[in-house]
Amino acid sequence: MTDVGQRKTKDEVKEALKGIAAEMHNKMEKGVPPSMTLPVRAKTNIGFDNRLGVYKYGKKKSTRDATSLGSARQLLRSLHVTEFIEQMIDSGKSSTLREMYYISEAWGHGKFGSQNESNNLAEDLEIVTKCLREDFKLRPEEDGARIIGNVTFEERNRKGDWMRINCRDDVGDSGYGVPYNVESEKLSLVEEDVDFIMAIETGGMFDRLVENGFDEEARCALIHLKGQPARSTRRIMKRMSKEWNKPIIVFADCDPWSFRIYASIAYGAIKTAHISEYLATKGAQYLGITADDILAYDLPSDDLTKQDISALDSELTDPRFNSGYWKDQINLMKEIGKKAEQQSLAKYGLDFVTDTYLPEKLTEIGLGY
Amino acid sequence: MGGPSGGNTMVDARDISGKQKQIAVSEFFEKNKHFLGFDSLQRSLITAVKEAVDNSLDACEEARILPNIVVEINRLKGEDIELISQDNGPGIPRDAIENVFGKFLLGSRFHAIRQTRGQQGIGITGVVMYAQLTTGAKTRVVSKIATDSSAVFVELGLDTRKNKAIKSKERREIWIDENSGEEIKHGLKISTIMKAKYQRGKQSVYQYLRMTSIVNPHATISLIVRGKEGEIIEEGKWLRTSERLPRVVEEIKPHPHGIQLGTLQRMLRESEQRKMTSFLRHNFSGVSVRAAKEVLAVSEIEDDRVPKRINADDAKKLISSFQKVKLLPPPTDCLSPIDDLLIKKGLSKAIDSRFASTVTRLPTVSQGNPFQIEVGLVFGGDISADGPIEVLRFANRVPLMYQQGGCALTKAIESIDWKRYGLDHPGGKGLPKGAAAVLIHLASTNVQFTSEAKEAVADNEEVFDEIRKGLLEVGRGLKNHLKKKDQRKKAKEKFELVNVILPEIAKKTSKILGRNEPDLAPVITQIMNAVFCEEELGWDKERKLATCSIKIFNYTARARAYTILLKWPENENISMVENSNGGRKEARGIWAWRLDTLNPGTSTTIDVALSGLSKGDWTDTDIFFRGNGDIIGATKIDEKILEEIRKSEALVAIRNEISESGNQEIDGFVREVELLEKDNEKASDSINIFADYEEVSE
Repeated sequence: MTDVGQRKTKDEVKEALKGIAAEMHNKMEKGVPPSMTLPVRAKTNIGFDNRLGVYKYGKKKSTRDATSLGSARQLLRSLHVTEFIEQMIDSGKSSTLREMYYISEAWGHGKFGSQNESNNLAEDLEIVTKCLREDFKLRPEEDGARIIGNVTFEERNRKGDWMRINCRDDVGDSGYGVPYNVESEKLSLVEEDVDFIMAIETGGMFDRLVENGFDEEARCALIHLKGQPARSTRRIMKRMSKEWNKPIIVFADCDPWSFRIYASIAYGAIKTAHISEYLATKGAQYLGITADDILAYDLPSDDLTKQDISALDSELTDPRFNSGYWKDQINLMKEIGKKAEQQSLAKYGLDFVTDTYLPEKLTEIGLGY
Repeated sequence: MGGPSGGNTMVDARDISGKQKQIAVSEFFEKNKHFLGFDSLQRSLITAVKEAVDNSLDACEEARILPNIVVEINRLKGEDIELISQDNGPGIPRDAIENVFGKFLLGSRFHAIRQTRGQQGIGITGVVMYAQLTTGAKTRVVSKIATDSSAVFVELGLDTRKNKAIKSKERREIWIDENSGEEIKHGLKISTIMKAKYQRGKQSVYQYLRMTSIVNPHATISLIVRGKEGEIIEEGKWLRTSERLPRVVEEIKPHPHGIQLGTLQRMLRESEQRKMTSFLRHNFSGVSVRAAKEVLAVSEIEDDRVPKRINADDAKKLISSFQKVKLLPPPTDCLSPIDDLLIKKGLSKAIDSRFASTVTRLPTVSQGNPFQIEVGLVFGGDISADGPIEVLRFANRVPLMYQQGGCALTKAIESIDWKRYGLDHPGGKGLPKGAAAVLIHLASTNVQFTSEAKEAVADNEEVFDEIRKGLLEVGRGLKNHLKKKDQRKKAKEKFELVNVILPEIAKKTSKILGRNEPDLAPVITQIMNAVFCEEELGWDKERKLATCSIKIFNYTARARAYTILLKWPENENISMVENSNGGRKEARGIWAWRLDTLNPGTSTTIDVALSGLSKGDWTDTDIFFRGNGDIIGATKIDEKILEEIRKSEALVAIRNEISESGNQEIDGFVREVELLEKDNEKASDSINIFADYEEVSE
């Protein structure tokens, strides 16, 4: 599934889902409690995959078996979801995860306790069947990103026609909205005239760069991540990087949560480590704001909270941050006890970020213009 | 606060001495009002209510009347408050009214050694005094005794010079109840006006009466508080939950172990006896002829010495030989414990909870003073889970409301590691937190307080140890309750799992795969893999029986054989009237059934019914078992505990026999009691070891 070309057919998906029911049924026939085997989804069970260049789940497995009420309910839910997906595949429909959560109201003892449970279960099924959520006809609720810059896509619209969109000339100030499905059946990358792609954490900074015309000045495409980026956002960055061979630059706040956003883009997220090679962009670079920047530019900053500090400590034991660069940044941040927002650069005026900060930082990593 | 003006400007010797006396009495009151309970406006009101209510309860108890007490508080202008207290007690004979309300610091109980409420404060006279000093008001009294045809209506003031009450406006009339319009046959009503403040909260009249009702389940108490406009500000009504009056307590003579030199010398001086042996036997409890002779021998005092002529040196010798000679402990029928079942009732009427555990320890003795500890713990229900637990302290059935932190009763609670018993106890210091309330009642002929305020019990090692033992017992009860609750939840979940979810899973996989449904029996055995015990306590309304149904399920792959033991509240009035499976009595309050072999996948039920209980008396019990392999929902019996129960049972029986045969000396019994007490000490040591072991093991 590394490639879009390897996507499964409808029958393959249905067969994979039946495997889940078969594992349970066979166990019961043998007189033992039904079960489902999953990899442990924690930072203690992710490791770097040298071949793929991203972090993947390791060998630790956990067995969800029907010896406790909670697990038994999960198994029953998995079966209901399996049945539901099969029906959608057969009838050519799709549903959002939230819709599935409400549909589960009719599943009696198999209904979900919360929306979170249904999201997690969808991921569990992806892992066990090695299929994608898109194969299951399940859509996320989450918002896709916005893109502005001189890049051109073709997107298949509701009528089934391919529509050509240039993300500089054919869009308004809010940019091109990335759809939830960015696979080749829905979206193709047509042409570009940029040197790199810059992912920006906050909407305020995205709008500042757009207003200042930074995309044209620096010859780049700007992507607004909207916090922790959605799967489709990470997937489209991965495609742009791979198909157009452009570097990805991440520009975020300087706080522990922003570091995790970067890690999910560059190395893969813990929750979706089963499809890291599909979502993560090996070689994405962190531009700023760094702890060094707080000192070098004397930026207005806030004190680290207790939660910030424990998040930083947790990152120190996260294999994805196990590099000299990140250890230095995290330790320095703990030492000065400060964090700073992207927009703190406005201390020196509205144009400081585009006239001084970004040009300096980009020159440092060899992307000066 | 100024005294009432004498109104006389003439100065003569008599007046001066009178004036001095007046100053002396009111000054005494003024100087000591903090320990008389009249130091603040808020506390003065509580003290006044307390004096009135304590008197009513004591009087009803002596006259064997179930008390109905009504307290009314009306706010008047400024800081004036009208206090009305009425009871259905025996009333006070006309001629005694002046004495009861007028004598300062004089109580008939001053020398008596027995447990009474009236050991605190200075009695109702203080209320009359306080009202007169703060508002100049007279205290109005209505008293009716059953043998008189009419009631006495009288107003009372205090002549502080002569230290006596002055009566005025005395009349006799039929006393009609304002509400029912019926004649009141006997009772007492007091009303007066004083400067005071009504306040809600932990230290309030409401809380005082609520606590009083807990330890006096035989009383019905109500409270109405009205504001300046006559609107009701606060109301409380605590109905009696028991028709049983506290038993009449016997007065006892002092025990030699608690006697001090000065007291002994006074007793010697005042004695009429002509021989030392009879002096010792007749003035002390716990001294037999044999013991008296031994004391004299050890002291090297001749038996024919006249007690009046014993000098200080010889008296000192007597005191020291009291400690060297074996003496009988003082009798303990001078104590009036509330009784654990009644505490439970009292607590449950005042606090809505899920779990209540109470224990009445056997009476014991500290320095010649008999005392007895009762402990209660309630948990869950409506009790707030935030902050420290509520502490309800009582000395001789009187609520202690102030100085909680400095009280030995509180310290005993704080000394327990409550975490082991399921309560939150941050740092193991201070009071534990959680939805619980703990009650401690100290009944003693001589409650030692930290100060004259009589609000905090002084440290005493023996009292402290007894409280700790009681607390550990109720703590174990709580722990068991929580464990059982947890087990019950788990068992319920397992039942849902195998009976509901698992069959649905099987149905779904079969449908998805188009295969036959598998046989689930072996899967179920593997999932459960345990023996479950479930008990259900109920109430048979028709026949007025408390019922208990015990179900045992064997969900293992092997056949099992067990003896099941049930803890039940056995006593003279409560008996097992129905029992489906026979069995036998294992000890007092423990019944045992040896069950037939229970095959895999089968269950069995034991049903019993008890008479002599009321609805709600039996809400929690313990099931034990003997046999191999655990039972979820039951505890493996500790044979040591059984042994201890049997021993204390024997001890109680012998004590009862002794008290029935009077205070005669029966040498055989003496030895037996001593032996058993020694044994019992050992047994309680072993219980302690068990408790420690339990604390360590987790």
